[in-house]
Amino acid sequence: MNIPANELHFTRTFDAPRELVWKAWTDPKQIVQWWGPKGFTTTTTEKMDVVKGGTWGFVMHGPDGRDYDNRVVYDEVVRGEKLAYHHSDADEDEPVAFHVTVLFSEQDGKTTLAMKMVFPTQKDRDDAIKQYGAEEGAKETLNRLAQHLHHMR
Amino acid sequence: MDTFTALADPTRRSIIEMLASDGEMAVSEICKRFHSSPPAISQHLKVLRETRLVQMEKQAQQRIYSLAPEGMTEMEDWLVHTRRLWTERFDALDALLAKEKKKLQKSKHRKGRKK
Repeated sequence: MNIPANELHFTRTFDAPRELVWKAWTDPKQIVQWWGPKGFTTTTTEKMDVVKGGTWGFVMHGPDGRDYDNRVVYDEVVRGEKLAYHHSDADEDEPVAFHVTVLFSEQDGKTTLAMKMVFPTQKDRDDAIKQYGAEEGAKETLNRLAQHLHHMR
Repeated sequence: MDTFTALADPTRRSIIEMLASDGEMAVSEICKRFHSSPPAISQHLKVLRETRLVQMEKQAQQRIYSLAPEGMTEMEDWLVHTRRLWTERFDALDALLAKEKKKLQKSKHRKGRKK
């Protein structure tokens, strides 16, 4: 049986030099300006330490007044080139413990980000599905997001 | 055919991911994104319709496709959710980078004028 990919790939090019894009990911004052979903504001609760094993703790304040605790742990950092991290258990917003790798490459003053999100093991995936499925709120958020995106078109 | 088999095909998987991040698309739009012939894409869309992964709506002369909510398993829900989340994030990142670039250009301009 062929199961839908346990990997998600995402590529996007930004009209900015690599230094700026790297900064947007690694400067706590900048990352909070784009990380949260629409309608959310993000605040850093734990100093951002962009080194292997370092963390970034933050809270996302939802439009409904709910707060979502998050924490990211950096697995690999190659300055200006590669950022790999995973969401730790403290994470309510993204209950899925998957690993994310982001590669930064520049050409002609534009920076391309290549992202890969992987479920570490079959068990982790099954756990994530159970946990995600158990979250009534998550499904509702998805519907609201879908509606919201539909209105944006 | 079941949804797993339907999604085993990379073109069909691409179509799903495309609809996940873009919302709804006309058949003509979908065809533009692939090298395959329109009849081949139509066949893929037929499979996706039959397995209830996508739904089709006629709007004037166009056939508009979107993801069918009932076709999605929780796993696929997550894929859709995550793709949309990251599309949003990257849109916001785009806006921030435009701002930062302007700042940088302004400060370079100021430095340039100093004697």
